[in-house]
Amino acid sequence: MTTLSEQRVVAPPVTDEVVLAVHDVRIYDQVNDREIVHGISFQLTPGKVVGIVGESGSGKTLTCRAALGILPEHFAVSGGQIDITGRNIAQLTPAEWTDLRGATISAVFQDPASYLNPSIRVGSQIAEVIRVKTRASRRQARHRALELLALVHLRDPALVYDQYTFELSGGMLQRVLIATAIAADPTVLIADEATTALDVTVQAEILDLLADLQERTGLALLVVSHDLAVVAQLCDEVLVMREGHVVEQGPTTEVLQHPRHEYTRMLIAEHEQYGLDRYLDEH
Amino acid sequence: MSTDNPVLTVTDLEVHYGARRRRRQALNGVSLEVGRGEVVGLIGETGSGKSTFARAVLGLVPFSRGQVLIDGEDVTGHSQRKWRELRRRGVIQYVFQDPLRSLDPDATIEDSLVEPLLIRGDSRADAVARIRPLLSRVHLDDELLPRLPGELSGGQRQRVAVARALVTEPALIILDEPVSALDSANRVGVLEILKELRSAEVSLVFISHDLGSVAGVADRIAVMYQGQLVENGPARDVITAPQHVYTRLLIGSAPTLRSAAANRSERAALRALLHA
Amino acid sequence: MTRRVFALGTGRLAVGILVFIGLLAVLGPYLAPHDPLASSTTTLAGSSWKHWLGTDYLGRDVSSRLLAGSRTSVLGSVEVALVALVVGVVPGLLSVYLGRVFEWTSLRLADTLIALPFLVFAVAVTALLGNGITQAMLVVGVLVSPLFFRVSRAATLAVARSQYVEAALISGASIGWVVRRHVWVKVLPAIAVALAQTIGVGFIVVSSLSFLGIGVQPPAPTWGGLLASDLNYLHFQPYAPIAPAALIMATVWGCNLLADAIRDVSGENGRALVNTRKARANGARLLPVESRTG
Repeated sequence: MTTLSEQRVVAPPVTDEVVLAVHDVRIYDQVNDREIVHGISFQLTPGKVVGIVGESGSGKTLTCRAALGILPEHFAVSGGQIDITGRNIAQLTPAEWTDLRGATISAVFQDPASYLNPSIRVGSQIAEVIRVKTRASRRQARHRALELLALVHLRDPALVYDQYTFELSGGMLQRVLIATAIAADPTVLIADEATTALDVTVQAEILDLLADLQERTGLALLVVSHDLAVVAQLCDEVLVMREGHVVEQGPTTEVLQHPRHEYTRMLIAEHEQYGLDRYLDEH
Repeated sequence: MSTDNPVLTVTDLEVHYGARRRRRQALNGVSLEVGRGEVVGLIGETGSGKSTFARAVLGLVPFSRGQVLIDGEDVTGHSQRKWRELRRRGVIQYVFQDPLRSLDPDATIEDSLVEPLLIRGDSRADAVARIRPLLSRVHLDDELLPRLPGELSGGQRQRVAVARALVTEPALIILDEPVSALDSANRVGVLEILKELRSAEVSLVFISHDLGSVAGVADRIAVMYQGQLVENGPARDVITAPQHVYTRLLIGSAPTLRSAAANRSERAALRALLHA
Repeated sequence: MTRRVFALGTGRLAVGILVFIGLLAVLGPYLAPHDPLASSTTTLAGSSWKHWLGTDYLGRDVSSRLLAGSRTSVLGSVEVALVALVVGVVPGLLSVYLGRVFEWTSLRLADTLIALPFLVFAVAVTALLGNGITQAMLVVGVLVSPLFFRVSRAATLAVARSQYVEAALISGASIGWVVRRHVWVKVLPAIAVALAQTIGVGFIVVSSLSFLGIGVQPPAPTWGGLLASDLNYLHFQPYAPIAPAALIMATVWGCNLLADAIRDVSGENGRALVNTRKARANGARLLPVESRTG
């Protein structure tokens, strides 16, 4: 069996096939009877990284959840269309969704500890995903899980495999979750505030890991954050959301150099005034 | 700004947690001086000891070695009673990360603001008169006074917390991650207020895990790593010419608007160096 | 909080019931149309103009006995609740602040009291201190106090570890200040709930003790005592237990309703609940309620 990294390096997907297409999607809150997301559109091709920036309540997380088919109760897609690898998700049956999640589209979220079972060793949890998704044997699944733990730069995969969640730091847990998320070779990975709760140095490590995975395996990434700089570091294209509206959208360099909306200008000014940027400019 | 009459002088501070075999060193010989009117950024990751440092300075955790001078007063070995007297004078104040937890949910904003003044023995009328001018200083409206913390936005709440720290006209305020729970618009608002405080005669110690969030307000930056102070100098020098490997990694890791592709290998090298 | 309790329909109903019972306790003995102890030859009579609720097996007027017995019954249960309150709440609060030795001792003592069987202990102590309602209720109050101990300790613990208490301490507050300004407000609703529950429990205890002949001695009437003797004559007067039973049930129900109302309106959720109700009700209807209680 070839290793995961070899497989992917040998055949990097070079197609321009759209793997996730979000077309003018609107999301509606049925309880409060109002529209929360007022139309968002973007496309992901293999190896492309799109970022959504916005504050809590801007609708960025709901958009992610809509793409994963896990909108909270009382929320519904009220307009537009989402296609995953060319299939309209509105027409998927629950069984088809189950096949799609993990294998085609996958996600990591802010609080990694809450997505893992505290009383099962983390390695077994990754292996379980592999066994369910690829019908591998126990031995194969374990082997593959160890490969994945190495792929996400955990220093001692064999040790981590046999540990429980409480024995791992936040950064290590997030890496375990990323390993789980890419276990079934998805084409799209959604990272929703995946680094928000982490220390800055650990955040950089996770972001570097994502960039690394995207380059090596051609994963398409959707990165969601409240921090423009996090998105700017990683993404080809940026969407800025505010109160459910996309107020700015375009290639990252274009948005950073020529922001059109006042809100984007404020986000940039914050970094230039208060961040490291003003000192680094002096170099 | 003069350093010959510092507000806070900490010399060789050591703090231990746990007893006997579980004993673990949280602070290992930390020395730091904060000058009058100076803004110091204290940076470190989770578990680096930066919060322990603050709690030791406030007398909330005992220290096993070292000396702490607050506004010239040696507090080393102070009894509970002496600590209480010192705190009542309001020389030193503290701002928590999450104002929703540090403000009593059942007390009105007015009650929370006057509390430090009432504790030190002011009459209610005097205290209320004192807080009014403070509100405009933190850009808050009088109308908020009868409200409860739950009825305010996150940014308003944190400004209330800052105002509460200011009521006793302290010489030093320690702020623990004061803006990391806020969204962009509010973060700028609170940072703006803190910047304005610099003109007043108050020193700030700004604790954060993110160097980027204090770079814009701090005169001096101190970096803690594994219970030790590994870097301490003027903000510009620390950021442009960091001495310690951890500081270099910290600066390399801070999210900036520049493309980071070039830094990735650099960061990997620094990490290898740090863990070696 | 009082205003918020009154904003709830159940709160107003509960207070209404309890005020009625309280009036009975105060005025009952004076309202009795006959001597509650005077027997006559018309035994086990049905309801009539002269005897509203008929007479019992000795020919005594039932309505007079109910009215005359209300004071002892109500006072007894209030005594239980107050004794439990004082004996439970103070150590409950202090156990958080007075250090480990006091904490350990008070916790073990509370556990011991819980383990003692209620009625047996009451019988034993009344044998020791003399058989009177005050002694009996004192014992019961002490036995119920662990409820107050636990409730107040739990509420205090939650507040003592909060950041706003730490913030007050950093400003130089003493423990007394913290308890008065921060802890007390949070502990009060929990205690109020326990108090209302205990009054309900006390009622049943007064009744069951006089049922056993402890506390109040026959022929002095109590609601529980009436109920007990009525049960012996079910064969002749199947409807007789209804009146004393209804009074006991109404009081217990009123206490529980009040406890529920207090629990509903305390804390963040409670406030939100009342606020939404306020928003829904129209202002005109609500204003009198506000002004009546505020």
